[in-house]
Amino acid sequence: MRNLAHLLETRQVSSREIVEHYLGEIKQQEPDLNAFITVDDVGALAQADAADMRRSQGNPLSPWDGIPIAVKDNISTKGLKTTCASRFLSNYKPLFDASVVRSLRDAGMPILGKTNLDEFAMGSSTEYSAYGVARNPHDRTRVSGGSSGGSAAAVAAGEAPWSLGTDTGGSIRQPASFCGVVGLKPTYGWVSRYGVVALAPSLDQVGPMARTVEDAAILFSLLAGPDPKDATSADARNFEVPFWDDQFVKDLKIGVPEEFFGEGLHPDVEKAVRRSLRTLEGQGATLVPISLATNDYAIDTYLTLVTAEASSSLARYDGVRYGERVHAADSNTMFSKSRAAGFGPEVKRRIMLGTYVLSASHYEAYYEQAQRVRTLIKLDVLDAFKQVDVIITPTTPTTAFTIGAKRNPLEMYLSDLFTAMANLSGIPALSVPCGTDPKGLPIGLQIMGSHFREELLFKVGYVVERSAAR
Amino acid sequence: MLRLIDRQEVIRMARLARLELSEAEVEQYQADLTNFLTSGKKLQKVDVSAVEGTSHAVSITHELRKDEVGSSLPREEVLSAGPETVDGFFKVPRIVEEQE
Repeated sequence: MRNLAHLLETRQVSSREIVEHYLGEIKQQEPDLNAFITVDDVGALAQADAADMRRSQGNPLSPWDGIPIAVKDNISTKGLKTTCASRFLSNYKPLFDASVVRSLRDAGMPILGKTNLDEFAMGSSTEYSAYGVARNPHDRTRVSGGSSGGSAAAVAAGEAPWSLGTDTGGSIRQPASFCGVVGLKPTYGWVSRYGVVALAPSLDQVGPMARTVEDAAILFSLLAGPDPKDATSADARNFEVPFWDDQFVKDLKIGVPEEFFGEGLHPDVEKAVRRSLRTLEGQGATLVPISLATNDYAIDTYLTLVTAEASSSLARYDGVRYGERVHAADSNTMFSKSRAAGFGPEVKRRIMLGTYVLSASHYEAYYEQAQRVRTLIKLDVLDAFKQVDVIITPTTPTTAFTIGAKRNPLEMYLSDLFTAMANLSGIPALSVPCGTDPKGLPIGLQIMGSHFREELLFKVGYVVERSAAR
Repeated sequence: MLRLIDRQEVIRMARLARLELSEAEVEQYQADLTNFLTSGKKLQKVDVSAVEGTSHAVSITHELRKDEVGSSLPREEVLSAGPETVDGFFKVPRIVEEQE
C-alpha cells in the first residue's frame, strides 16, 4: 500500500485510474466470484475524482487519500444499501455512516462496494447469504469462509486492495485463512461498533483484511481509537504502525497450546504451522508448550452466548421503522409474518436457540452457566500470557471446504474451534498465511496476544509472512 | 436437567420470538434444539462455583456524557425508511385487541 500511496503522491497514477482498475476487476470476476452484494461504481468514481482534486490542490486528507476499499455489508454506509445479506434489509439504505466508515472517509478512501457475508454474519462459509455464496478465488468450487467471506475473497482476487470485516467467533480470521489474506480481530473495544449491525454485542469487533501484514496494520491504525458513540469503546490510545525489524524475535516467548494440535487438525495444516514455528525458533524465539484446556468448552460457550445475544439483537427487526413488512390485521401477526418472510433458516435457528437459553426456565442452566464458563476461559487465557508473549495456533482445522459439504449446523459451528476463544476473552488475534496444502489452498496461522498487544501480533506476523514467502 | 424438546415448547419459543413457523420448521427446530442441547451437555458439568459470569471481556467503566441536546436525523428522512407512515408517525396495525 505504501507503493500505491507513493505513486499517488508523486502523481504517477490518479485515484480515478486506481478505482477504474478495481472496478474492472470486479466487473470481470464477479459473475462467478460473488464477493460483492452491492458495487457502487458511480459513488467510488466520484470519491476518486474528489481525491484527485484534493491531491492537485496539495491537500490530501491522508497518505491513503484516493486508495479505495471494500466494506462488509453489515457495516452502515450512508445512502448506500446495507443488506446484511438478508432479505429483510434488501432495500435498506442507512441514514448515517458507521464510525469506522466515517474514519475511512476522513482518510479519503473511496468505497468500491459492500461485500457478501452469511446473513447477519451468522455462518462460516457465506452459504447462508440470501444473495448466494461468495466463492473462493483459489478454487471456485470451494467456500471463501465466513462470515466475512466476501471481504476476504475480494482482496484475494484483486477486486479490492483491502477491506473491512467483522469477527464475532472467527468471522475475519477463518475467511482470511481460507482465502490466503491477512485478517485481524482486534482487542474488544479498540474499534468502534457504532453503526455496525449487531450480531452479539459482547463479542463483535470490526477489523482490517489485507494482502500483507503491513497493510493490515496501516488499515488498523485508521480504525483504532475511542468513540463516544460506542458505550463499550475502550479508553485506549490510537494505534501507531510499528517499525518492522526482526531483533525482537530473540526475546520472544511463543506459547504452543497442545489442545490446538490434536484430533481434527488436518496434517497439511499442522505441517505448515509447525514449519513457521520452527522458523521463528530458528531466529531465536523460545517455543513454550502450554495448555489451554478450557478451549474444550469454547464452542459450546460461544454458541450459547452468541445465540442468546443474537435473539436479543435481532428483536429490532419488526417491520415497523425500516426493512420489509408483511401486512396483517394486528401487530403481533405482522411482526411474526415479517420476521418469518425476512429471515433465512440459520437466522431463525439461532433466534430459536437464543430464545430458549434466555427463557425464564432455562436462563440459569444455560445462559448464566455459559457466562461463568466464559470467565474460566478468560482466566485460562490471561494466565497463559503470564508465561508467554504470544500464542500461536492454526487459524482453522482444515483448508477451505467444498460448497455444500457441511449440511449439519453443528458441523459448521466447529469451523470456529480455534478462533472463538479470542472473542470470548476479548484478546486480539491475527491470521497470517503460512503456506498452502498440496491442492494449492491457503493455510492460515493464528497469533494471539493479550489485550491491546496488536503491535506485537503484527510484528510476529510480519516475520511469519516473510518466512512463508521464501 | 436435559431433555428432548417437545413440540409445544418449540411453538412457545417461536411465539416469544415473534416468528411464524411452518409445520416443517417446527419439526426442524425441534430437532436442532435437541441436538444443540445434547452437544452442549458437557458445559453443564463444569464447576463454576468459584467465579462470577463475564458479560464483557474487557473491563470498562461507563462514563455518562453531558446531558446536552445534539443534532439528530431529520424526521422526514427517518420516516422515509419505514414501510408505512402517516402524519409524521410510523403506522402499525391495531395493537389494543391482541390476546396473550
